[in-house]
Amino acid sequence: MILLIQYTLIFAAVLILVALGGMFSERSGIINLGLEGIMVFGGMAGAMVMVLLPSDASKATIIILTLIAASAAGMISSLFIAVACINFKADQTLIGTALNMLATAAATVIVKAFNTARSDGTDFSAKLDYVKGHKAFLLHIGELEISWFIILAVVLLVCAIVFFYKTKFALRLRACGEHPQAADSVGINVYAMRYAGVLLSGFFGGLGGIIYIAAANSTWHFDYGVAGAGFLALAVMIFGQWKPERIALSAVLFAVFRSLSNVNGGIDFLAKLHIPGTIYNMFPYIVSLIVLALTSKNSRAPKAEGIPYDKGAR
Amino acid sequence: MEKKASFFRRSGVQTIIASIVCALLGIFVGFLILLAMNPSHAAEGMGAILRNFFKYDQSSTTLMYYFGSTLVKAVPLILCSEAILFAYKAGLFNIGVAGQYTVGLLASLYTAIALGWSWWLCVLAAIAAGALWGFISGFFKAMFNVNEVIAGIMMNWIGLYLTNIVLGSKKVMDQSTSKTYNILSKNPKALLPSFLSDVFGHNQYMTIALPITILVAIIILIVLNKTTFGYELKATGHNRDAATYAGMNATRNVILTLVISGAIAGFAASMFYLTGIEQYTLSSSVPGMGFNGIAVAFLGGLHPIGAIIAGLFIEYLTMGGQYLDTNYFNPQVADLMVAIIIYLCGFVLFFKHLMNKGKAKALTNVNDETNKPDSTTTEDKEV
Amino acid sequence: MDKDDYVIEMLHIRKEFPGIVANDDITLQLKRGEIHALLGENGAGKSTLMSVLFGLYTPEKGVIKKNGKEVKIKNPNDATDLGIGMVHQHFMLVDIFTVLDNIILGAEPNKFGFLTKADARKRVMELSEKYNLKVDPDAKIEDITVGMQQRVEILKMLYRDNEVLIFDEPTAVLTPQEIDELMKIMKELAAEGKSILFITHKLNEIKEVADRCSILRKGKYIGTVDVKDATKEELSSLMVGHSVSLKVAKEDAKPTKEILNIKNLCVRSKLHNKDAVHNVSFNVRAGEIVCIAGIDGNGQTELVGGLTGLENISGGQILLDGEDITKKSIRYKNTHGISHVPEDRHKHGLVLDYSLEDNMVLQRYYEPKFSKAGILKRNEIRSYSDRLAQQFDVRSGEGAKTIVRSMSGGNQQKAIVAREMDRDHKLLIAVQPTRGLDVGAIEYIHKAIVNERDQGSAILLVSLELDEVMNLSDRILVMYEGEIVGEVDPKTTTLQELGLYMSGAKRDAGKEA
Repeated sequence: MILLIQYTLIFAAVLILVALGGMFSERSGIINLGLEGIMVFGGMAGAMVMVLLPSDASKATIIILTLIAASAAGMISSLFIAVACINFKADQTLIGTALNMLATAAATVIVKAFNTARSDGTDFSAKLDYVKGHKAFLLHIGELEISWFIILAVVLLVCAIVFFYKTKFALRLRACGEHPQAADSVGINVYAMRYAGVLLSGFFGGLGGIIYIAAANSTWHFDYGVAGAGFLALAVMIFGQWKPERIALSAVLFAVFRSLSNVNGGIDFLAKLHIPGTIYNMFPYIVSLIVLALTSKNSRAPKAEGIPYDKGAR
Repeated sequence: MEKKASFFRRSGVQTIIASIVCALLGIFVGFLILLAMNPSHAAEGMGAILRNFFKYDQSSTTLMYYFGSTLVKAVPLILCSEAILFAYKAGLFNIGVAGQYTVGLLASLYTAIALGWSWWLCVLAAIAAGALWGFISGFFKAMFNVNEVIAGIMMNWIGLYLTNIVLGSKKVMDQSTSKTYNILSKNPKALLPSFLSDVFGHNQYMTIALPITILVAIIILIVLNKTTFGYELKATGHNRDAATYAGMNATRNVILTLVISGAIAGFAASMFYLTGIEQYTLSSSVPGMGFNGIAVAFLGGLHPIGAIIAGLFIEYLTMGGQYLDTNYFNPQVADLMVAIIIYLCGFVLFFKHLMNKGKAKALTNVNDETNKPDSTTTEDKEV
Repeated sequence: MDKDDYVIEMLHIRKEFPGIVANDDITLQLKRGEIHALLGENGAGKSTLMSVLFGLYTPEKGVIKKNGKEVKIKNPNDATDLGIGMVHQHFMLVDIFTVLDNIILGAEPNKFGFLTKADARKRVMELSEKYNLKVDPDAKIEDITVGMQQRVEILKMLYRDNEVLIFDEPTAVLTPQEIDELMKIMKELAAEGKSILFITHKLNEIKEVADRCSILRKGKYIGTVDVKDATKEELSSLMVGHSVSLKVAKEDAKPTKEILNIKNLCVRSKLHNKDAVHNVSFNVRAGEIVCIAGIDGNGQTELVGGLTGLENISGGQILLDGEDITKKSIRYKNTHGISHVPEDRHKHGLVLDYSLEDNMVLQRYYEPKFSKAGILKRNEIRSYSDRLAQQFDVRSGEGAKTIVRSMSGGNQQKAIVAREMDRDHKLLIAVQPTRGLDVGAIEYIHKAIVNERDQGSAILLVSLELDEVMNLSDRILVMYEGEIVGEVDPKTTTLQELGLYMSGAKRDAGKEA
């Protein structure tokens, strides 16, 4: 049972952060289907920092540098979306899909090259080990082993809620996703706000990526990407109605289903049912499909999302 | 001179130019990546990718054998891209092709190995499975207004895990190698009939899949351009309001489009796995075939025949990765180049816009009218 | 009022769009503290002129002066800095934001980036009280009435201390009560020293609030008059002009049996929470042209939408040649006697990326004439399209396979007219069939419509062009705020009388509001 809680917390942390990222992007008017790819880039950068840091680096150094690397990599990769979709008015679905493919391929190539170089040509794998880095993030409270990542997610969630509802910046960002012409007519730079939205999604997506690969694992194969976590986060975002506090709740719900697949054997009554583990893997996706079917009719996506803004066309 | 100008203004010609620009830019960026990884061997590496199986040019049998293998592997890619472009023409982005392909391979391998069906029944099963997966996406889209992209993605993962469960069973999977059984050893009558394999250096995987693929492309071309059904789908895709005005049924068309698109994707899987060239291994990510199909569809200018050419090109690049000297590079560089090419396809509109710059004032005129309906009431608008 | 105290002067403004001069040497001088009406028909260039003042368009020629000093207005921010504010015809409000958030958006009071809404709320409430603009600051825009939304727009300007207020057709979407209220507010604002530019074509409203009135016609400046010295009739004739350029030769109508009969038709509005078409009843007989006249946005679009099936009907009944077709599908209506030249040829009438020949069979592609066993008969379609193109003089670069997007607007429209007239029909609905066309094309289409009538079709014409209405129709029904307010005979009526009906100044007996 404790294991279930641990996994739930980790997956919830990932889903909350990535879904918040998607929320900021969509609220500014850009559909970000490339969250999956952003997570891969963030995770890779964070993992490489953990591998590269000298073995005597302090815990705090590891934590801080890893997080900076992951978020920075996420933001840089999100620029692929911003440039194409905001400046060049490209198809947002196509670009998001392309970024996902790009991320997996690039991560594989980079990590393999990285390993090859470090091992003098003996290790060609796309795998990174970061046991020490993984341990640096662990924190024991009584019997429960939690991770600094979870604390980080909670802190960022609170920040995001305050930011979303209380600041001038977020008010303007939200206006751009709903009615960019109105925002423009009161002197708001729609392009700049959309860049901000996409970069925020890069920041959150990158952090989500490193948590996904490092919170419960000490090694990761980068040719696998992040197994649809980014897309689950999109479903969480839709179910959360593009609002941070509701996103947090739905993330926890999804996380429970997701973690069942990892720990179903450890829970007595579930183990007795003899359901193969992979069936639990399907759960979150089936649940989200049903949930989307129930909510999509009334769901209020930001009105102007997916529509390139053209200042000339009035 | 004038004739030449009008040649470059033709939409089809512009699409071809834009696609070639995308491909060349992608290769160029790929070269830059090779340079960054290993400057002294970059040129050699790029040469290896581009030279590809032509390195066997001293023996025509070997050369043809490897050419045949490229063709065999290009088949599912081309078919997936046909599935995508078909839906795209009707205004739907069927990202679920990846999952429809996955359940297609599930159905074809299960019926071939566990049930011992004949090849044509296995193919039908794959088509049905893909169509069912497409139907579910379409149903959610038409009835509950769930975005087809999101629904497609969810169905991709459900399809993947279902496939892992079913094909992971003892009946289908050799537990010692973690691969599905070879069809040849279990049920040879499920293998597709061979076709021209002697021409291609006795490549036993050369089957009727190749001519059928070309046939499917031609059928799609005909359906889209010659039939009332294609007429209706494209009208809906171009302008849903006008389609409604003309009395077409949008809900029915959405579902039907995704069913057909899914059927093609399922078919694609059967045309690959029933050659016996590859066995399925349990995977933790959705097979990339459907996603690569998006690249091929866009690179091929969303044209059924263009997709064949683009599919061969992309497969050629991907295979090229394997000719890289692994001491210096890894084969996924080719995948990276493919991904870059897709990304660049997003800029096709922009490239076309560049080509049209300064051209046809009449066109701007028309656009202005759309944007400013209020100002069009003046009578002397047209001069 | 000082005679020469102009707060804004727009001198010799010229603004061109490709193929059209929207503003041709227009001069407009706004005095401090006055309400200045800008009067003109649709397409006269009023909105373009105001967009120039608000920085949305840059004029080719002319200067703008603020308080006598020349200024450059390149974007809405410049306009705001100069104290110019605008209530747009389509409100610039974010639906899911509260009233308060919409008012402060772009000028948010804040401390270190955090909103300090308490100050803003106090300020808004003060303004709201001072100008009697009652709003609930915490209500969401989507939940409040259109009238209240407009008050929010006005508060937005006041919150920014704007002194020049532009109202672009502010009454188009309001109920009569809301209009009265707006008039009162405008007078109060002017009394406070604000200067107001009021774009409209409703004469009643001008008489009620405006001090002076400038008139535009077809992009040209006609003149400026003191409102108190001018009668409504005079203003109306200035707006419409006397030059009736196009006369269509036609015999008197010989109407026979009733083809279309509409009883108490109602269509809900998508813009506001009331009927866009309210209890409309009329009939059209074979061999006559009945015209729905009226100012844009008075329910004509929704009426036609309800008739053809593009919009849902909320009440009433439609009979076509005696058959109840109220609940029939669009295809059924298409194939059972209704032809429809739609208002927006790009949105509904054409698939722009299709070839001319494909557009010619948009509703008929599946008929045995054009297809067999699901395969299109390309040759049939080609020769049909060629025949229509020749018959209706549709010109295109590459003949039947020309992509329609590349054709001129006139030829696009002719293609639609050709297609709709050639289909079997009892009733032809033509909505603004000559919108945006040149004189030649207009003449052609007018002749075709008259010819259609003489062949025995019933024709329902919806037009915003008074010339067209007067020339073409056998009976005129005037629509105002979703209702038919009068029926006149084009032979006996005058433009002035029609103008009075259209601006809501006159109603037939029994049709009073």
